[in-house]
Amino acid sequence: MNEYLTLEGQGGLLQVSLKNDWIFNNLNTLQETLDEIEPQPGQRVRFSCGGLKDFDLAGAWILYERSMDFEEVGIETEFEGFRATHFKFLQHIIDIAAQKEYIPGFYDRQPGHYWRNGIRKLGENTIEAVDSVGFIARAVLDGVKRPSRLVIGETIRQVHATGAAAIPIVMVICFLMGIVLAYQSARQLEQFGANIFMVDLVANSIFRELGVLLAAIMVAGRSGSAFAAALGTMKLTEEVDALRVMGLNPNQILIIPRVLGLMIALPLLTIFANAAGLLGGAFIGATVLDINWFAFTERLAFTIDVNDLLVGLTKAPVFAFLIAVTGTLRGMQVKGSADELGRLTTVAVVQSIFLIIVADAIFTVVYARIGF
Amino acid sequence: MAEQHEHVISIRGLHNRFGKQVVHDGLELEVRRDEILAVVGGSGTGKSVLLRSILGLHGPNEGVIEVLGNRIRHLEPGPHKKWGVLFQGGALLSGLTVQENVELPIALHSDLPIETRRELAVMKIFMVGLDLTAAAKYPNELSGGMRKRASLARALSLEPKILFLDEPTAGLDPLAATEFDELISYLHANLDLTIMMITHDVDTLFNVCDRVAVLVNKGIIVDTLEGIVENPDPWIQQYFGDPRAVRARKAARPKG
Repeated sequence: MNEYLTLEGQGGLLQVSLKNDWIFNNLNTLQETLDEIEPQPGQRVRFSCGGLKDFDLAGAWILYERSMDFEEVGIETEFEGFRATHFKFLQHIIDIAAQKEYIPGFYDRQPGHYWRNGIRKLGENTIEAVDSVGFIARAVLDGVKRPSRLVIGETIRQVHATGAAAIPIVMVICFLMGIVLAYQSARQLEQFGANIFMVDLVANSIFRELGVLLAAIMVAGRSGSAFAAALGTMKLTEEVDALRVMGLNPNQILIIPRVLGLMIALPLLTIFANAAGLLGGAFIGATVLDINWFAFTERLAFTIDVNDLLVGLTKAPVFAFLIAVTGTLRGMQVKGSADELGRLTTVAVVQSIFLIIVADAIFTVVYARIGF
Repeated sequence: MAEQHEHVISIRGLHNRFGKQVVHDGLELEVRRDEILAVVGGSGTGKSVLLRSILGLHGPNEGVIEVLGNRIRHLEPGPHKKWGVLFQGGALLSGLTVQENVELPIALHSDLPIETRRELAVMKIFMVGLDLTAAAKYPNELSGGMRKRASLARALSLEPKILFLDEPTAGLDPLAATEFDELISYLHANLDLTIMMITHDVDTLFNVCDRVAVLVNKGIIVDTLEGIVENPDPWIQQYFGDPRAVRARKAARPKG
């Protein structure tokens, strides 16, 4: 009557002969086929393996399940000619399974209780924040107390990786930012016929704010994420533990060089960023705004003094410290899974950019107050 | 008439080179249906490369590999539903619970209703000797032995015909290793499974396996356990002459 079984009703007995492949691949059809079996009340059901070709655990399992359904409504079932092992297996498995009803899985992860989760999260974050401060203090202390020779080489490597390697991209971005600033300020200044003041605007904003800010954001994206991912992977592969048992302090070897390296690299990178920004402004001045290179440099010398440069450069080490510490800290917090690594890497980048902007706001207000 | 065997894996003329280093030079291997074949060999003889070639994870320089009649090509779909692999470290997805890990292949390769999928997964988890408490845990919360069991449950989730085991007892304590060996024997006795395993564990070799394939001189020597220990090859003599191997051979339960 169909592909997988034939039914034969003889008085008190319903003979079900299985055919073909009762395997995982056909499970859906098999389930439907089995559901169609409807014995008369009082009939016994006998499953026999007549023309069964291939049979696996999954096939055996749904057959068993169906027979249990029958048994539940008082219909007797029996099996004939099967490999006994399959059923011994299943009986054993189902006996244990019956003891516990709830099985957690993919599909029923509950969102949980909002309030309770919120408060727990708050508590966790507070502990984490306190922990972080301690962690940073510890790392810095370790670096100062017992400087190691290993640190120097690694620091130089970090200066190269986070600084030198980032020069091209940072310069391109700042050059473009110089162009944008020059254009936008010229549009406003044209109304007063004061095009030349474009130089003041471009130079001041690049030197005091944008050069260092763009460099820092770029570095947060490049190196902050790299720090978190590298240290996180080292945590997962137990490399950090290996260092520790060899008597090497992970703070010494992994964190101090990264923090130091970035604090050296970012101010240098800022100088490149400033230069590129000015170049962008001068380029637009010369090509579009009738301010030739000579006029640009003359105005520049007049409007900018070394303080403006220092305002930008003093921010750089602080930003670098924030980026490096956030990145390494998040990396060291990774434990357990690859997902965690991804999450904390994202957190590292987002938080370091956030911290950079906050710090920049504080700097600006403080510098404005003291007239720097 | 000679005994006829059905071959589930056949490898002909396999060459693998890395730069100038030749790992396999014209390797030939047939794996028979329903047997447990162990692959042994010194380090650098290409045990893992052989396994990875069979699984299509490594593209050999030359040679034809067929698994269940399917030609295996590098990084192309193979008979995914007919083989299961237990990787050395377990390779469970760390972001999913054990239950979800086992459920994943079922969900990927079928459109069964959720309850059916879940129950099948639980069945497999019980089959390898884990319970629901373990099923709800993440891989990093499990011990090494439990992780291997969970990974085995995942490998078995699609009712495979062939099971590949990469160092199944490596990193387990002797007790756990013996239990794992017993589990493999149990599964082999109860399911239609052909098992090919890479192993260094001489106890596994003598207690579980039917035949042994030894990788020597860029080729392979395959024989039964009784046969292989008599083989004159110096490396084989050294390997099976080692006190650990001798002890394992003496202690091995008689087969059958």
